[in-house]
Amino acid sequence: MPNEKTLVLVYKLIMQYKNNPLSPHLQVYKWQISSLLSIAHRIVGVINIIAIISICIWTLLLLLGTETYQPINFFLNTFFGKFLAVSLCWTFSFHILNELRHLIWDIGYGFDLKVSKITGVLVLIGSFIFTILFYLTGKNIF
Amino acid sequence: MHSSTKKWLFTKISSLILLPLMVWFIVNFISIYDENYSEVALFFTQQPSKVIFSTFVIIAFFFSSLTISEIFEDYIRDEKIKNVANKVLHIFAIIIPLLTIIGIYNLS
Repeated sequence: MPNEKTLVLVYKLIMQYKNNPLSPHLQVYKWQISSLLSIAHRIVGVINIIAIISICIWTLLLLLGTETYQPINFFLNTFFGKFLAVSLCWTFSFHILNELRHLIWDIGYGFDLKVSKITGVLVLIGSFIFTILFYLTGKNIF
Repeated sequence: MHSSTKKWLFTKISSLILLPLMVWFIVNFISIYDENYSEVALFFTQQPSKVIFSTFVIIAFFFSSLTISEIFEDYIRDEKIKNVANKVLHIFAIIIPLLTIIGIYNLS
């Protein structure tokens, strides 16, 4: 039978555990490229799925016919509509490149701290280059 | 095979399939998003875009349900709330692609 001191200690440990922050301890670690990309990957992933849900709704609205589609077409041709399209290019680009980085890690490459930092920077810079490439390819500029 | 290993494998396989589909979709989305009704409807009704878009939606929701459940695992402490959140997530991951595919197959 544990004594009172042990029980108090166990109780304190449980309370301490309950008050611990949950993963990934955003407020504990200092900002660096690896944590920045990890957090951004999750946030961008959630933004992408919200965008895909919106695109699904967009395709379903097509069922309502030409006249119902007019305001949507007008909105997508405004500056804000175009801004959303370019933003989607960036979120997709970032997610594609960072997911590729994760897949390379999964086959056992790129774990070295220096390599990991370099690939992180490449993902960040590459996401902006891919955004331009996707937009220009989509607009048949090439 | 352990269920966590299965989940990890499914996540990785779906992400590998999703990468080229994402490239295909974003390039095509940029080419049609500001076009008129007939152009947009034509894209979703003609082949192979109809089949590729349907595949993209299915894989995207499958992948997102697996990865978002990981976010729930990290941020939701209460097991009951976590289970409910996961069930809602899985239901949405089935209903939304299903409705979208039915929708584009009824589009003329």
